[in-house]
Amino acid sequence: MAKRNKLEIMKDILAIIQKNNNNIKPTPLSRKSNLSSTRFKEYFLELTQKGFIKEINRENSNFISLTEKGFRFLERYKTIVNFIDEFEL
Amino acid sequence: MPRFAAHWAQMAFGTEVLYSFIIIACSLIIYFSTKEMEELSSYKGIKYFRKAFLFFALAYFFRTLIKFILSFFSVPRILDYSPKLLGPLSLFLFMYFSALAIFYLLYSVMWKKLDTNGKGIYFFHLLAIIIAIVSILSRNPLIYLGIQLFLFIFIFAIVLISYKTSRGKNNNIYKIYLLLFIFWILNILDILVPNFLQTFQMLLYIISCGVFLSILYKVVKKTGST
Repeated sequence: MAKRNKLEIMKDILAIIQKNNNNIKPTPLSRKSNLSSTRFKEYFLELTQKGFIKEINRENSNFISLTEKGFRFLERYKTIVNFIDEFEL
Repeated sequence: MPRFAAHWAQMAFGTEVLYSFIIIACSLIIYFSTKEMEELSSYKGIKYFRKAFLFFALAYFFRTLIKFILSFFSVPRILDYSPKLLGPLSLFLFMYFSALAIFYLLYSVMWKKLDTNGKGIYFFHLLAIIIAIVSILSRNPLIYLGIQLFLFIFIFAIVLISYKTSRGKNNNIYKIYLLLFIFWILNILDILVPNFLQTFQMLLYIISCGVFLSILYKVVKKTGST
């Protein structure tokens, strides 16, 4: 399997959240993202800082869901990748 | 100035303004239509690509200013224009933004190989400042030609290397980039060396517009902008 680049990993994490009805706990998200826990934490922090995901505390548990910007990223992901490919960026 | 010559000068300047308007508009549309993609992805290649076109727009603005001064004040060379500060300053900014536009576009293609924590781009800023300073201090057309030849060899080598690494992909963007670089260098020579391209000036304008419009077309097609 080819090594995933940063954009692809971000897309994968966001897509997992979306597939789980936009509502998933951090532990299953970390497991499904196929990343080491250190790398997952890095990506989790970056996605939160960029405003793609938010944490919601419900019934004493943390849930993660996508923000509007996160949905927009998923929507535009293919366009961004095609653009990078087309212009060899 | 005889009436015919004055009329001809006005027409030439009108063509120049139209040409600059097309290039500046194309560059700014490319810059703004890729804004959301950069914000969403924070991808360095897109960042450098966008900035390259912002610098093209700025360089063309100063190019038009220089042409305006040359045309309306009948100055043979921009460095001879008085008040003394405006000529060298506009030439400095034109050369600085021109060099940066070329370097940023190259960097957008090469950043993965050259990037050292994003600091590689500072080297190109330094190089652009040196080129701009040499351009205003030197009054020798041969030195101007030398600078452009240096830029061209530099660009050609990098484009060739990138082309070799991306062989096998069905993509002809390198041909467009190469054309853009060649015509950009001719555009610079058009400002630095008076009458260098007078005979082929219209051809230079048409091909330069064609190159920018084809890049704009590709960008709009890929970004889905309207």
